[in-house]
Amino acid sequence: MQVSLPISAAVNPSPARAAAAGSLLGANAPSIALPLTFTLTGLLALCSGMVWLVLQPSILAGYHYNQYVIAATHLFVLGWICSVVMGAMYQLVPVALETKLYSERLARWQFAFHLVGFVGMVWMFRVWNMKQVGHFGCVLGVGVGLFVYNMARTLWRVPRWNVTATAVSATLAWICLAILSGLSVAAAKCAYDSTSSATGAVGVLLGGLRSIAGFLARFNPISTMHAHAHLGGVGFFTMLIVGVSYKLIPMFTLSEVQSRRRAICSITLLNAGLAGSFVTILLRSPLKLAFALMVVSALAVYSWEISAILRARKRRALDWGIKYFLTAIMLLLPLSVLAVVLSWPGLPLNTFTGQLENLYGFLGFIGVITLAIIGMLYKIIPFLVWFGRYSRQIGRAQVPSLADLYSARLQALGYWAYLAGLTGTCAAILLSNETEVRIGCGFMALGVTTLSLNVGKMLAHFFKPTLKPFTLPTSTTAKIA
Amino acid sequence: MTTNEITEEAILETLRQVVDPELGCNIVDLGLVYSVSVTGQKVAVVMTLTTAGCPMHESIRWGAQQALLSLAGVAEAEVEVVWDPPWHPSMMTAFGREATGAGNF
Repeated sequence: MQVSLPISAAVNPSPARAAAAGSLLGANAPSIALPLTFTLTGLLALCSGMVWLVLQPSILAGYHYNQYVIAATHLFVLGWICSVVMGAMYQLVPVALETKLYSERLARWQFAFHLVGFVGMVWMFRVWNMKQVGHFGCVLGVGVGLFVYNMARTLWRVPRWNVTATAVSATLAWICLAILSGLSVAAAKCAYDSTSSATGAVGVLLGGLRSIAGFLARFNPISTMHAHAHLGGVGFFTMLIVGVSYKLIPMFTLSEVQSRRRAICSITLLNAGLAGSFVTILLRSPLKLAFALMVVSALAVYSWEISAILRARKRRALDWGIKYFLTAIMLLLPLSVLAVVLSWPGLPLNTFTGQLENLYGFLGFIGVITLAIIGMLYKIIPFLVWFGRYSRQIGRAQVPSLADLYSARLQALGYWAYLAGLTGTCAAILLSNETEVRIGCGFMALGVTTLSLNVGKMLAHFFKPTLKPFTLPTSTTAKIA
Repeated sequence: MTTNEITEEAILETLRQVVDPELGCNIVDLGLVYSVSVTGQKVAVVMTLTTAGCPMHESIRWGAQQALLSLAGVAEAEVEVVWDPPWHPSMMTAFGREATGAGNF
């Protein structure tokens, strides 16, 4: 029996129905504008960063302790990774953990602080004005404070605590420490002449920063910077990737977590390993190898569990979004090897070791974390666009699926271009070859361009939707359980 | 179509219009529909989703309700989402398995 619905209903929803559709995002998720704003800001930062690397390949071909490297790193880490991750957390954490975002208003304020903070920081790092870095860092820090408070209040209402909620909680603690350590590093590099004249909360803040700076001055500045980078890279981003994987990978592949014990073990080891790594990196202790191995063990257990989840999946075909994500996980292997090598006691501090450190940071942030984020963006952005444009039409017209919103060909082209560029750039970093870095980054920029084109294609649905009248599928007899 | 003509078959065919946008398959062939009942001009459907915390939860439930309301003779449609029994891929029809690229069970 064929039952078709009038196309008029699809094109012109009645006011009553349209109003009823207002809450289709569900009681838990914020409006799509919030995560989309963060995401598009992040994408803009990624594009800017890639162009910068192409124009100034010396950033990767030389030692990393200089203003341009640090500025570019913060553009990628704060502008690209943090923006997207925070926007995605506002969207996904409430939905995945079946709770409600505490305050969307706070999140909008956080965006303003975040934008001003990271743009100012990157600019001031570039001109190496550390006092202004500290000031803009405080602005960013206020935003992070709002973010952490908002997320903590959201997590407080989670009805069923699970391993993902534990990991998300841990990320909040680590990002606080990452920001505090970063501000302290900045404060340690400049004299706060104004401390004595400042009063009230500002005076307390500056006084506190100066005290911490005085304490941190006892440590090697490069070690302090490395310890700070690990808090962000491992504590916030990697922890989040690990934690949300246990929810999202089963969801997208029609599978389920195979061993809760393995999942808990990976999160526990990662937390313990990072805590130890932070201290031992800061103290330049030979014990950092032991904690690096602990982090590597955590990632090995995580990879084991992901592999088990994938083996048990019911959806055999893996889409490109998942392929991007799984490639990121596979890159954890060379990254772990590098971590162990760089943690080796008595490693000579020569030019090649410096390039290995560059490679480690590059592979971590631009390889593993960026590929994982791009993979998840190919899930998140279609969701947001679909919600914004088609959720009012479902059940009343034939609406496109998420995969129809973007081009799989562009995805595939982007994947291979990015991977080729990443491989080439890694080799070029080891060789300290600027020309090859430029070529490698050029390929990566091509990969990022395909992502941007696909994002544009998705956003175009807001202006030019694809709606068709119903056509019934041919199917076998349905089974009602 | 009169009220008496609202059959289970017609309801299922109508619900086949509602496609899970992530999986690209309709909710009937995905095995998400657990039961349908008709009382006069009221249709009640009990269904589930592939996973708790599915971001499409409200959209799919609402879409199913709208599709049912578009069926001639239906004045009221109630769609309840339940989690017990939990969905399993073995609940999919052969068409659903083919559409989602899932294997046999």
